[in-house]
Amino acid sequence: MRIFQALSVFFQVLFNRDFASQVQQLGITPDPAAMKVEDAGKTPATLPKPKAPLRNDAITLLATLQREARFVDIVMEPLGDYSDAQVGAATRDVLRDCGQTLERLFAISPVVDAEEGASHETPADVDAARYRLTGNIEGEPPYRGQLVHHGWQATRCELPKWSGKNDAALIVAPVEIEIE
Amino acid sequence: MTAKYILGIDLGTTNSVLSYAALDTEAADVKLLDIPQLVSASTIESRTSLPSFTYLGTVDEGRDGAFNLPWAEARTFAVGRFAQYRAAEAPDRTIGAAKSWLCHQRVDRRQPILPWNAPDEVDKISPVTASQVYLEHLVAAWEDAFPDAPISDQQVVLTVPASFDPVARELTREAATAAGLPAGFVLLEEPQAALYAWLATTGDDWRKMLKVNETVLVCDIGGGTTDLTLVRVTEEAGTLALERVAVGNHLLVGGDNMDLTLAHMVATEFDKQGVKLNPWQSVSLWHSCRAAKESLLEEGGPEKQSISVLGRGSKLIGGTVSVEVDRQSVANLLVDGFLPPCSAADRPQKQRASGFQEIGLPFESDPGITLHLAAFLAAHGESTGSSIFPTHVLFNGGVLKADTLRSRLLEVMRQWCEGNQPTNPLEGVHDLDHAVSRGAAYYGWAKDQGGMRIRGGVARSYYVGIETAGLAIPGAPRPLRALCVVPFGMEEGTQCDVPSGEVGLVLGEPVQFRFFSSAIRKSDRPSDVLNAWEEGELVESVPLEATLPADADVEDAHVPVTFQSRVTELGMLELWCVSTNTPGRWKLEFSVREETES
Repeated sequence: MRIFQALSVFFQVLFNRDFASQVQQLGITPDPAAMKVEDAGKTPATLPKPKAPLRNDAITLLATLQREARFVDIVMEPLGDYSDAQVGAATRDVLRDCGQTLERLFAISPVVDAEEGASHETPADVDAARYRLTGNIEGEPPYRGQLVHHGWQATRCELPKWSGKNDAALIVAPVEIEIE
Repeated sequence: MTAKYILGIDLGTTNSVLSYAALDTEAADVKLLDIPQLVSASTIESRTSLPSFTYLGTVDEGRDGAFNLPWAEARTFAVGRFAQYRAAEAPDRTIGAAKSWLCHQRVDRRQPILPWNAPDEVDKISPVTASQVYLEHLVAAWEDAFPDAPISDQQVVLTVPASFDPVARELTREAATAAGLPAGFVLLEEPQAALYAWLATTGDDWRKMLKVNETVLVCDIGGGTTDLTLVRVTEEAGTLALERVAVGNHLLVGGDNMDLTLAHMVATEFDKQGVKLNPWQSVSLWHSCRAAKESLLEEGGPEKQSISVLGRGSKLIGGTVSVEVDRQSVANLLVDGFLPPCSAADRPQKQRASGFQEIGLPFESDPGITLHLAAFLAAHGESTGSSIFPTHVLFNGGVLKADTLRSRLLEVMRQWCEGNQPTNPLEGVHDLDHAVSRGAAYYGWAKDQGGMRIRGGVARSYYVGIETAGLAIPGAPRPLRALCVVPFGMEEGTQCDVPSGEVGLVLGEPVQFRFFSSAIRKSDRPSDVLNAWEEGELVESVPLEATLPADADVEDAHVPVTFQSRVTELGMLELWCVSTNTPGRWKLEFSVREETES
C-alpha cells in the first residue's frame, strides 16, 4: 500500500529532522503544497542554518557587472545632486556595457517571438511561470489577448567561476590605489 | 592514433580564436571553442576569443592562486581578458601586440624585451615566448574541453599574416612547437583563411558567383595591421579553381589607429573645456571612442553622439565628463583620414624620420589605407604602369563592420576601374571577428576530405646577396648582386636546386648571407642574377647564417657550395648549402640576433 508508505514518509519528514535531511539528500522533495497546512507557523526555527558558502554566485554577478559596466557605482550614487543630462551622459556607457555583459552571460531573449501590442494566443497548457494573465480571465485555456510584454528568458547561464580566498568572498570591487 | 578533429587557430595581434570541426562528417561543421580565461583575479570566464595580452604580475599578486586556471596553479602571470584590462591599469607590466614584434626586424625577437620599456624588476619575456604563451593557453583550453582528443593527435592549421616574412613564420613555428602543437601543423595565410570561411558558407555556390579570370581582393583590416591579398579565378580541367596571385607588404595600420585618432580629437575637445584626462581616463576614452566609431559610422547611425569618460572613483556620475561629436566630423576624420579618396596612380607618402629614430613598432608613416591599396594593385598589374582591377572584394577584420568604411573602400576602387567591371563585395554571411579561425578549420577539413583548395605557393621570390669578386676599393662597398634562389609561386612540398657559380664557404667559421625578397618580381627564375634593381623592388630581410663544422679530413679550408631551396608541406621556407665536392649539406638559419641600432 503505497499510500501508507507515502504518508509515513510525509510525517517522518515533517517531524524527524534527520530523516528529512536524508530525504533531501536523496533529491526527493515531498510536494510542498501537500505540506502547507501543517507547516503554517510550525516551521522548525531551531534547524541549524546550512552553512552558506562564503562566495555566492550573486556576488560574482555583481562583481562582473561592476567590472564590466560599473553597475554598482551608478546605482549606489545618490542622484539628487545631478541634472538629467549628467545622469544620462554617465548612464549611456553603463547601460551599453551592462547589456553586453548580460548578453554574454545569459544570452537573454524574448520568451515569445511576437510583436507587443498584437493579439496573441497562449498554449493550451499555459504555465503560470511563463505567462502572466491580466484582465478578465475567464473560461479555459488557450487564452487569447493582447501581448503586453514579450517576457525575457536566459538561454544560457555562464557565470564566471570564482576561486579566491574566503576573506575576499564578499568583495564586489577591490580598492584601487594608483602608485605614482 | 588518428585525428578526430581539425583545429583552426587564429593567433591574432589583439585576439586569438580557436575553431574546430570533426573530421568524420559529411559536411564541415565548424564550431568555436569557449576559452576559459581570467577576467579578474581569481575569476574565470569562458569566451570565444582570447585577447592576446599577457600581464606579468608582482610576486604578491599571484601568491594565493589568484592567477590559477583549471589546468595551471601557482601562476605569476595572466593571459587574456584580465591582462587586457591590466594593459590600461598597469601598462608597464602588460604585453600587447606581441605578433607585431614578431615581424619587427630591428630587435632580437628571441630576447626578453617585452613589455617594451618595462622596469627592471619585471621578468620580461621575448616576443616568441609571448606567442607561445597564448598558444599554450589555447592548447590547454582545448584539452580541458576535449580530454579524449589530445592536441598532439589532432590536425592543426595555424594562420599567419600573408605579409609575414620567412623569419616571422619560422619564429611562429618555433612558438607553436614549443606550445605543444603537433609537428605536422600547417601554416595558412590569414586572408586565404578568410576566403575559405566565405567558401564554407557558400557551399558550392561560389562557382556561380565567380567567373574565370575574375580577381578577388581580400582586404583584411585588423586591430593593428592591414593585410592585402589577390586571388584569381582560374580554370583547371574544365572546373573553376582559385589561385592566390599576390600578397601585400606588412602594413602596421589598422582599427586601433582609428580609435586613437578619434580619442585624440575628443581629448582636444576635453582640453578646451579645461578637463585634463589622466592615463586611466585616456584608455577609457579609447574604449568609448571605439564604440562611438562603430555606431556613428553605421548606415543610419545617429547624427550626434556624446562621448563620455566615466568618473574614476565610486562617484561615477559626478566625475563623468562628456563631449558631443557629430557624425560628419567623425566621418571626415576617420574615413578621409584612413581611406582618403585617391586615384589609382597615387602612392603613400614615405616620411623618413630624420636622425635618431626610436626603436619600437615601425608604424606606417602614411595611414592612408587606400593609398597603400593603390600601390599594391599597381605593383601587381599585368604590365608596368597598369593596375590590376579586382572584380570582387572580400572584407575581413572587425573594423570593417562599419558600413561607411566598407562603402568608401568600394567607392574608391570603383573609380579606379576605368570602364572595367566595377568591384563588388562578395555576398554571403560574414563573421568578421572569427572568419580567419573558422576558415582555417574549414581549410583543414577540406584538405583532409578532398575539398576545394586555393593554390598559391610562396608569395614572394627570394634572393641571396653575393658580393662580386674583384679589387676592393677602400671606402666603397663591393657591388652586390642578388641570386634568385626561390621563384615566385614555388609550391609547398617541392625543392629546387639553384645552379649557380660556386660560392666558397670557410669551414669552422660562421658564414652570413644577405637575404632579400620581392613581392613584385614574379618572373625571375632560380639562378637568375640581378646586378641592379629599382628601389623598393627588393626588400632586405635578416641575414642567413650557418656555421660549417671544421673537417679534419679536408685540407682545403674552403668548400665550394651551391644553394638548394625547399618549401616544406607546412609552408616553411628552407635554404641549404650543398657542397659540390663532398657529401656535406648545411641548412642556413635566419639570424635574428642582429645588432640593434641604438
